[in-house]
Amino acid sequence: MHRLPTFAHAFTCLALLLGFCLPTGAASAVPPLRVVATTTLVADLVRVVGGDRVQVQSLMGPGVDPHLYKASAGDMSALGSARVIFFTGLKLEGRMEDLLRRMGQRGRQVVAVADAIPSDQLLRKEGAEGHPDPHVWGDPRLWSLAITPVRDSLTAADPEGAAAYAARAAAYRTQLDTLHQWAASRIATIPKPQRVLITSHDAFAYFGRAYELDVVAVQGISTVAEAGLADITRVADLVKQRGVKAVFVESSVPPGTIQRISKDAGARVGGELFSDALGTPGEMHEAGGERYDVGTYLGMLKHNVNSVADALR
Amino acid sequence: MSSLVPDFDVQRVLVTPWTSDATMNGWIVLMGFLVATTCGWVGQYLLLRRMALMGDALSHSILPGLAGAFLIASFLNPGTADGAGNARGATVMYLGALAAALVTTLLIHWLHTASRVKQDAAIGIVFSGLFALGVILITVFADQVDLDADCVLYGEIGTVGFTDYFQLSGRDVAPLPVARMAIVALLTFAWIQLFYKELLVSSFDPGLASSLGIRANWVHGVLMLWLSVVIVSAFESVGAILVVAMLIVPGATASLLSTSLPRIFSLIVLHAAISSLFGLHLALWLDCSIAGAMVVTGCGLFVLAWLSHVIRVRRARHASLPQDAPPGTLASPSVTPNPP
Repeated sequence: MHRLPTFAHAFTCLALLLGFCLPTGAASAVPPLRVVATTTLVADLVRVVGGDRVQVQSLMGPGVDPHLYKASAGDMSALGSARVIFFTGLKLEGRMEDLLRRMGQRGRQVVAVADAIPSDQLLRKEGAEGHPDPHVWGDPRLWSLAITPVRDSLTAADPEGAAAYAARAAAYRTQLDTLHQWAASRIATIPKPQRVLITSHDAFAYFGRAYELDVVAVQGISTVAEAGLADITRVADLVKQRGVKAVFVESSVPPGTIQRISKDAGARVGGELFSDALGTPGEMHEAGGERYDVGTYLGMLKHNVNSVADALR
Repeated sequence: MSSLVPDFDVQRVLVTPWTSDATMNGWIVLMGFLVATTCGWVGQYLLLRRMALMGDALSHSILPGLAGAFLIASFLNPGTADGAGNARGATVMYLGALAAALVTTLLIHWLHTASRVKQDAAIGIVFSGLFALGVILITVFADQVDLDADCVLYGEIGTVGFTDYFQLSGRDVAPLPVARMAIVALLTFAWIQLFYKELLVSSFDPGLASSLGIRANWVHGVLMLWLSVVIVSAFESVGAILVVAMLIVPGATASLLSTSLPRIFSLIVLHAAISSLFGLHLALWLDCSIAGAMVVTGCGLFVLAWLSHVIRVRRARHASLPQDAPPGTLASPSVTPNPP
């Protein structure tokens, strides 16, 4: 008696639902080349090289730690329909990298931008020789090597844009070159003994190598284990011993440990550096009489270099 | 307002998923259904034994297994980039996690039977101890590589359609994780069918079980071993949250609606189907994590079942006051072993 109306309702709902589900078959105008990039850094690279011809969707938003990324339903349909999928490689994307590479074997076009960097230029920690450090964007010269695979795969997917991609790639390479020269001269203003970069997790090894900074990270690469007491004491001692003026927090890692060291050792917090993700596009910062968008790679690196140079001098 | 909650666009939420993305979404729903059903079935026995949080415990206690497997694999395969690269590969991690899960379940069982420590405390002690051991192993031996369950073991349900396919005579049949989970589901079903009586009696009354000649200890041990296989396989394909929740929620929902175990098992299947299908659409609407949306839908079903349970109890009380209350409509709080 009571059940009957509910059942009828359910049936009506189902019928309505099925009615909605009929395909409508309306196609839009010719869209730009739709591609997906995993991190904000890779997305920025593809956007610069692709220009107007390419529509880039970044799976991980600004400030997201790639280790802690959770995919959303929209990300999945983007991944399903993208013409080209760009990712960093070097195990930065964790299990997702295995998946993407397998999609490549199954005929999808996937590109690991860091694969273009020669193996002998990668940094390997002692005891983990098989696992090169993936944070290659710390050095603009290495990041510049990633331009070529992006240009080539965009050209393969959209041959008509070949000339445009080549021109933009060449221009960006020059820009990165200039950026590197500028960064080197800026860091050179710090006296040699004071060139110690202390951060929370180990993401600045390439940056340090490029600009002759000693990089000390409180935490290892994995984020599951928090910094140990011994780590904190070790770093605090180093700060006092070398007279380091500032320590740095990262945009995608909680700042607690670094603030503690800052308090223990009397070095101030020199600002927030961008390590694994860019800032929000359009987020303008001003330093050294220049304004730049920390949502782009160029702006991000300038921000990091300016923060480090200003705080350690 | 509208930026926080996206508009309910019928085309985007209900139509496109089953036209242009139909294959991908079909596999996602099927995968969610298989995981929820299998976990729900096994979880029902955990609920009866008051071990519902085993899933959560295992999601932590596999960490030393991951670290140990990594260390062993790096030791056996030192030097070459390829060998060490594989040390973090999916198969090695799966085996490590499975070993740690087996150790966890056996330790919990042993601690619980061989001491005065109660079931829940035993779970708490063993999983936190093993997790801490894993953290120490990683910080001491493997600090230079990114080694955590999120990164190296947990899968993502949204990507099942993109993985390798299981092939039969050269044709793609189903994505590998779906095929694997289907086999696990079938085995679970067969196992429950075969040992229904043993599982039932030893879950409700271990004393009666042993007087009937059933070795309750062995039944429990095998259940725990199988549980480890189910949970680690599911972690590997869909991640932790869906598994932890689906061990508990379907069984709890079904137990509110019925008191007969066979009917509960059918209701678990229904719950799994609804929560995976509606969960996918919820995720598409809000553009959020698919596993998360499926769990939220499952919990929504639980709330509905709870409300209907409350209403039925009220009505039954009302009806019993005047004259003749039909027997059996009175919902009893706990499950009875036999169908009414």
